[in-house]
Order: sequence, then C-alpha cells, then structure tokens
Amino acid sequence: MNGRAMIAGVIGVLTLLFALAPLYRGEVELPTAEHHLLHAAIVTGAALSGVLAWNPAFARTSRLAPLWLLIAICAPILAMFLMWPSEYAFLDRHPGGHAIEHLGLVGLGFVTGYSGQRYAAGIGWATGAALLIMSLLAPLGYGVSPPPAAIAALPTAAPAAEEPASPSDAGRGAALYKQSCASCHGTSGEGGLGPSLKNERSRKDIEQTARWIRNPAPPMPKLFPATLTEKDVREVSAFVQKL
Amino acid sequence: MSAQRIMWLYILTGLAILVLMMLLGITMRMEQAGWLSYDATAFYSLLTLHGVGMLTAVALAGLGTLWYLVSRETALDARIAYLAYAFFIAGVLCVIASVLGHFGALWTMLYPLPFVGASWPGWATGTYLIGNLLVMIGFTLWCVQILAALLQRYGIRGMLGVEYIFRGRTFEAAGRRPPPPQMFAALIVSIDGFLASIAGMAIVIALIVRWADASVELDPLWAKNLTYFFGHSFANLTMYMAVAGVYVGLPLCTKREYHTSRPLVIAWWGTLTFVIFAYFHHLYMDFVQPQGVQFVGEIASYLAAIPVVVVTVYGGVLLVHRSGMRWSMGAMFLYAGMIGWVVGGTGAVLDATIPFNFDLHNTLWVPAHFHTYLLEGVVAFTLGWAFVNLEQRSGAVSPSLIRWVTGTCIFGGGALFLLSFYLAGSSGVPRRVAIEPPPGPAIAAVASIGAIVVLIGLLICLAEGVRLARLPRKETA
Repeated sequence: MNGRAMIAGVIGVLTLLFALAPLYRGEVELPTAEHHLLHAAIVTGAALSGVLAWNPAFARTSRLAPLWLLIAICAPILAMFLMWPSEYAFLDRHPGGHAIEHLGLVGLGFVTGYSGQRYAAGIGWATGAALLIMSLLAPLGYGVSPPPAAIAALPTAAPAAEEPASPSDAGRGAALYKQSCASCHGTSGEGGLGPSLKNERSRKDIEQTARWIRNPAPPMPKLFPATLTEKDVREVSAFVQKL
Repeated sequence: MSAQRIMWLYILTGLAILVLMMLLGITMRMEQAGWLSYDATAFYSLLTLHGVGMLTAVALAGLGTLWYLVSRETALDARIAYLAYAFFIAGVLCVIASVLGHFGALWTMLYPLPFVGASWPGWATGTYLIGNLLVMIGFTLWCVQILAALLQRYGIRGMLGVEYIFRGRTFEAAGRRPPPPQMFAALIVSIDGFLASIAGMAIVIALIVRWADASVELDPLWAKNLTYFFGHSFANLTMYMAVAGVYVGLPLCTKREYHTSRPLVIAWWGTLTFVIFAYFHHLYMDFVQPQGVQFVGEIASYLAAIPVVVVTVYGGVLLVHRSGMRWSMGAMFLYAGMIGWVVGGTGAVLDATIPFNFDLHNTLWVPAHFHTYLLEGVVAFTLGWAFVNLEQRSGAVSPSLIRWVTGTCIFGGGALFLLSFYLAGSSGVPRRVAIEPPPGPAIAAVASIGAIVVLIGLLICLAEGVRLARLPRKETA
C-alpha cells in the first residue's frame, strides 16, 4: 500500500467515526446552521479520502468516462438533498437514523472525489470543492431564517398611526428628497420627468403632501413603506413645503 | 466530422428555440401595446418561458461553438456533449410543462415568489425547479469536460497564460506560444460557469426542498444572492461563449490571424476574476445587503466587462482595417455583433453604476441592455460564426440583396425594437409587468413592429443558411 492510499484510508476511517458520532452522543439538539457545518466537515473528509484513494496507476477506462463525470456531478446534488433541514429535528432525536444519514453523506462525498478523479486527474479536487462550497453555503440560509438584526431592520408592513408632519422635519428631508425624489422632480423641485414641486404648498398642505407620498398615483413610484419610513415621509413632506 | 455535427446540433437547436421564444416575446410586447389581450397570469407564464428559453437558446448555440473550437485543439469525448445536450433538452421540456401549468414566477424564480400567492398548481412549481436543475447539470457537465480537457492540454499555468505574461522572453525564446484566444474564452466559461452552477444548484435544491416541505425556511437575501450569482453569471457568460466565434471567424474572413496578446490575456483574467462578483449590482436596492459588497459589485461590473470588450473589439477592428475583407453574411454579423456588444455593454455598465441603477434598474432599461447584448451581440456572433462556416464549406457567399435585406431587418428592426426599450426605461416604465403605465403601451407598439421586422430578417437569414448548407462542398486542393 502506498502512502497516498494510506492517507486516504486514515482520513476515510476518521470521517466514518466522526459520522457515527450521533450513535455515541445520543439525542442532541443542534441548531440548523451548526448542523450544516458538521455535514460540511463530513463531506470534506469523505471527498478528500475519495480523491486520495484514486491512484494514477489505475487503468483509465475511457469507455466509462461520461458515467464517472455524471456521478461526480450528481453525487454532490444528492448529498445536498440528504441535508434536508426540516428533518434535523427528527434526526436529533433518532441517533440511529442520524448516523445512517451521515453514512450516506460519507458515501456521496467519497464518490464525488473518487469519480471526479476517475474522469480526469485533478477533477476530483474540483468536484470535491464544489460539494464543500455547497455545504458551506447552506448554513447561510438553507433551513435558516434571516438573522434577527436583518429582521429588525425591515420596515413594518403596517405603518404606525400617522403623526402630523411638522416644518421642523425639513432638515433631514432635504437629504431624503435628494436621494429619492430629485431624479424625477429636479434637485430643487424644478421638475423633470415628474412635475415641478415649486410652490407645492399652494396646492397641498403638509398633510396632503404626506398622504400623496404614501399613496401616489402612477407613474409616480410608491416608495412607502419599502424605501421611505413613516418618519421619512414626514420629513420629505416638510421639505417639499419649503420649495 | 463528429465535432462539427455536435456543433451544428447545438447551434440549430439554439436557433430553433430562439425563433419560438421571439414569437412569444412579440406576443408579449403586443399585449403590452394593447393589440392582443390575454390575462396577466398567461403573460407572466409566457414571460417566464421566454426568459429561460432565450437564455438556454443562446447558451446552447454558444456552447456548441465553443465545444467545437476546443475540440480542434484537444480531444473531447462526444458522448459527454450529447449527454449535456440531453440534460438541456430535458430541462427545457420540464420548463415548458411547468408553463402549461401556468407557472409564472419569472425565470429568476426569486424566493419566495414561486410559493407565495401562487395561482398555479404545486406540480408546476416542482416541474419548473427540476427543469432548472437539469439545465444546470447539463451546463456543469459541459464546463467540467472543457476544464478537464484544457487542464490536460495546457496545465493550470499554461491555460492561464501565466508564463507568457510573467516570463515572456524566455517563453517566446523557447519557441512556445500561448493558447489561442478562443481557449481563454473556453477557460473563463468553464471555470466561472462551474462556480455559477454550484451556486445555482445550491439554491435550486433548497427551493425544491422548500416546495416538497413547506416547513423549510430560507433566508430571502441568501436566496437572492445565489439566484443572481447563477442567473447573472450564466447570462453574462453566453457572450463569452459566442465571442470565441469572432476570434476564429474574423480571421477566416480577413485572412489574418487573431493573435493572443498580453492585453488580451490580462483582460480575460479580469473577466475570470470579476464576472462572479458583478451580480451584486442586482442587489443595490436591497438595503440589508452589506454596503461594502455594493461597491465591490460596481467595480467588478466594470472590470469584468470593459477590458475584454475594449481589447477584443480593438483587435477585431484592426483585423478588418484595410484587410480587403469581403462583406459576406458571416463577416457582417461578426462585425455588427461587436457593435451590439459595445452598445449593450454600455447600457449594462450604466445600470451597474449605483446612482443610475437606483433610477433605471426597475425599469425597461434593464431589458433594453440585455436584449441589445443578446440579440445584437450574442445572436449576431452566432449567426456570423454559422455563416462563416457555411461560406467556407461551400465556397459561396450570399447575394448582396439578401445581405442587405437581412442586415436591414435584423439591425434596423432591432434598433427600433431596442430603442423603444431604452426610451421606455428612461421614461420610468417599469419592467416585468403585464400592463404598463403611459407611455409604455405606445412605446410597446413601436417595439412590436421592430421585433416583427427582426423576426422576418431572422427567418430570411435561416432560409439563406439552409440554401448555403445544401450547396455542394467546396473542393479543396
């Protein structure tokens, strides 16, 4: 046995033991993101073992080349399906099933690396890396809801009770106007694609302006609440009153 | 011969799908113009099919061209080309089936659109997603095959042209030459295509799981990033597939060689590195996306496209300059395709510029730029390459009347069709909507006429292609 095969064997055995860990640890509750990372570690070990298990001295069977390539591409896909996130809660409570799932990942990881190498030297590294990347992408959003900070930053779907706008809001309103309105209404309200807002206060009072921004008629885009918050609307309205 | 057969199989399938998708596109513009009337559900289903179908069509044509060009440099297994083709066709059939079920979440299948408020049956969603997965498998098979072949032929350093750039004198003194330009196109398509497919498969698998099990949560921002990583990169790469035909086709027309130069290699490095980050410009308005990433998106959009366009087009123009080239159909399409690439690319660069993007990205400006890029760039290159081959094979060229008629229809009608998109976009007409606010309908009417003229030109062009193909093969000495 050469050194390469020995390393492949050692990595393979260690990966197998790691994959069987649920049997020893029993029932555990692991968050989904961490679970994906665990799977990434398993498939990495297995794919590495598969790549190293291939020996350049093996006879190359070009007759089966398309099959090896197809297997090398489909195995990572099957592995991703095996990482079905909503089943994690079930598997956490069923160590036997969990170990079998991990063995499946070991098998698919090994096949990914090995069959890639059988197709062409060097390709096992690429297909193994593809499997690793997919496994590492998973914790960022596969079975995982957005982080609390992102949810907190979302605008509320139902706006709070409308507060009357006041002229003191106009300061920040200028910046918001420049950012969201100036492209159509001109930098100083002189008009452009949209109508002029000069002397808008003679047509609408501050409350009417705010109501219009909240619910404009086409073709003016509705920026509230996706882009402008309730506070933003008040501030832009106050600024428009000064034009 | 086998390699040529594969090339024609891919190109002709691509062109057939292209004509069908153009018909769908025309009906949609006519509906927006108020000339046809069908309900919004049908419109969004057709829009979905039009998007997937068009990209698959131009990709098939480009992949066939590139596969053939790589096979001239190194041995390729034809069975893998047929296998990839089978996956593409199976994927397209699934997508067509899903549209029969009124799936209408658009080709981008942006989460949670396929699932939330859907008016179509669940099987249509599943069939659509599986169809996309099959197309991605086909594309990955193609990419890995080409990548392996290039690795075997040149090695990593050789195929990247590293020694040619950093040890130029020694390299050339040893009588060595860098890979020809079309091999750089093949390299970029295979590497970036492989990376994009990884992202694409990750999100499609997640969506399939979400379809089968509604309790699975997905992070919408994560889903959007992966979706556009695949979608934008794939659409972008169709140009780099087709441009390989310019590197080989124009020299055949001008009887001059298109050399690999140092600027060309460095420009392709830029594309290789930055194509995968350019998609960030689709997320400028997603306020939860980290701000630093937005700036990376802007810079990457410039560096992925501008250097390679400038170097390739400059080289192409110099090749033609004072060459005494005969303006055959092939030469005309290849040359005009470079103009389409520049114009469409400029529209893309404007959209990738953050202040413009805020005004333009949700308008018809975006379809304007990618229709220019695809129709007057990728399709023109494909037609050019196909005609150069037919002209070389038969030793004949098309009558000048045919050339003038097709050129006027495809580029004149195309200008009408595309300028309508640009005008509507700059007027703020939103994209992806069945019923457009004014002045959308009036502009859509003009666009419909332009698109019909383009289709007529394309059909004449295809008929002329068939005529050339049926001529006896030129006798070679």
